[in-house]
Amino acid sequence: MRVTVDQSRCQGHALCTMHAPELFDLDGEGHAVVVADPVPGGLDQAAYDAEAGCPEEAITAEPRRPARTGQARS
Amino acid sequence: MSAETESGAPVFCAAHMLDSWDERHPQVAFAELATADAPVRPDGTLVVAARQEVTEFLRHPAVRATDGVHFNLGGKRPLIPLDLDGDAHRKYRGLLDPLFTPKRVAWLEPVIRARTNALIDAFADAGSADLMASLCGPLPTYLFIELLGLPATDLPVFLEFKEAVVRPVGATVEEQQANMRAAGDRMYDYLTTVLTQRRAEPPREDLIGGFLTTELDGERLTDQEIVDICYLLVIAGLDTVTSSLSCLLAWFAEHPDERRQVVADPGRLPRVIEELMRFESPVPLGHRWVTEDIDIRGRHFPAGSMVEVLWAAANADPNAFEDPLTVDFARPHNAHIGFAAGPHRCLGSNLARLELRLAVEEFLRRIPDFEITTGEQVVYTNYGVRAAIRLPVTFPVARG
Repeated sequence: MRVTVDQSRCQGHALCTMHAPELFDLDGEGHAVVVADPVPGGLDQAAYDAEAGCPEEAITAEPRRPARTGQARS
Repeated sequence: MSAETESGAPVFCAAHMLDSWDERHPQVAFAELATADAPVRPDGTLVVAARQEVTEFLRHPAVRATDGVHFNLGGKRPLIPLDLDGDAHRKYRGLLDPLFTPKRVAWLEPVIRARTNALIDAFADAGSADLMASLCGPLPTYLFIELLGLPATDLPVFLEFKEAVVRPVGATVEEQQANMRAAGDRMYDYLTTVLTQRRAEPPREDLIGGFLTTELDGERLTDQEIVDICYLLVIAGLDTVTSSLSCLLAWFAEHPDERRQVVADPGRLPRVIEELMRFESPVPLGHRWVTEDIDIRGRHFPAGSMVEVLWAAANADPNAFEDPLTVDFARPHNAHIGFAAGPHRCLGSNLARLELRLAVEEFLRRIPDFEITTGEQVVYTNYGVRAAIRLPVTFPVARG
């Protein structure tokens, strides 16, 4: 599994470093950078949470999360 | 930028016009707007409130922070970087962003803890306090003065300015704007004087020292640029944290079960604070200008229109947040925009988070048990910034 950050969208909210501190850090300007590629085992859920928790939709986790029902996607 | 109703009273926010509006619980009205079809203020101002629409609207290059004529918060000139767009905005954010990363603001931790405790010391033995007056109001201003490198004796200058700009006095919009401009003039004069003094001294490590020595495209910042930056930081750094802290402490006062969870495990505070920032959204809205005809999610925004963008509504949008009117510390992911979104997202959010986390942590450590004083209630304002302007609490006095 891999996560990527679209730097043209990242505005430095820094929420990914809270959702998945093992996967993301902030660069000198405060924008997100991936620090674990590929995503280490056991952190898939953290990667999906960081993706869903990014206010700018700048994070992509692949492969895609399996479709779920009955839950609002934020 | 304010509109007026037929009665002449200023309109601040589309949500205030709804029957469901409630000063104590504005989330209900915000959620209603988030699911409304193409909401518009009575004066015709377009309102963007749905979470997904906010993201796509702000991402459009024709959406700007100003029209070049109207500036935010009583500024005489464009505030740097809030009132700039495009390349000029990117240039200044490139300079300022590095000064406000979590690592760069971390040195303030002991300062924040010490100042919070000093303020608590003043009322800890009394068994009661108004937390707005005794803690939330003064704390961010003290910290901001330290960050900039200004003398603590200048505290009253900043407190007066903050109040004049954020809650302007006046019976009409014109009077309010005149009073805001007068306060702005005084702050510009003060900052210009400070810079003149600082240039005559050896450079220091504080923020003003950084501005005086940093270079942008090979050139030093002019006094005018530094004053414009500082002016915005004063506005943005004072009342927002005061208001946010008051909302958090008011919420904890009225939710003892949830408060005990946090007291028992302060390590949860970062996520708790993000969830409360979503729920309270202390800065409820921003304005944007559309520079050409655009369509966002099937909705038309004509060139030249000013748009009210409601962060607080987006944060209560049931299509984005499951059960948005419930505070859920265990919300698995929380793409809130309590610090706004897009290119003008809050520059100081990491500093704000640090201040909020440490202030709440220290307060709950010192005073884990507190409630709204019997016979009293929290008084909120939702004009400008949401704040618990009256926050009377009672608590057992610690012995020993």
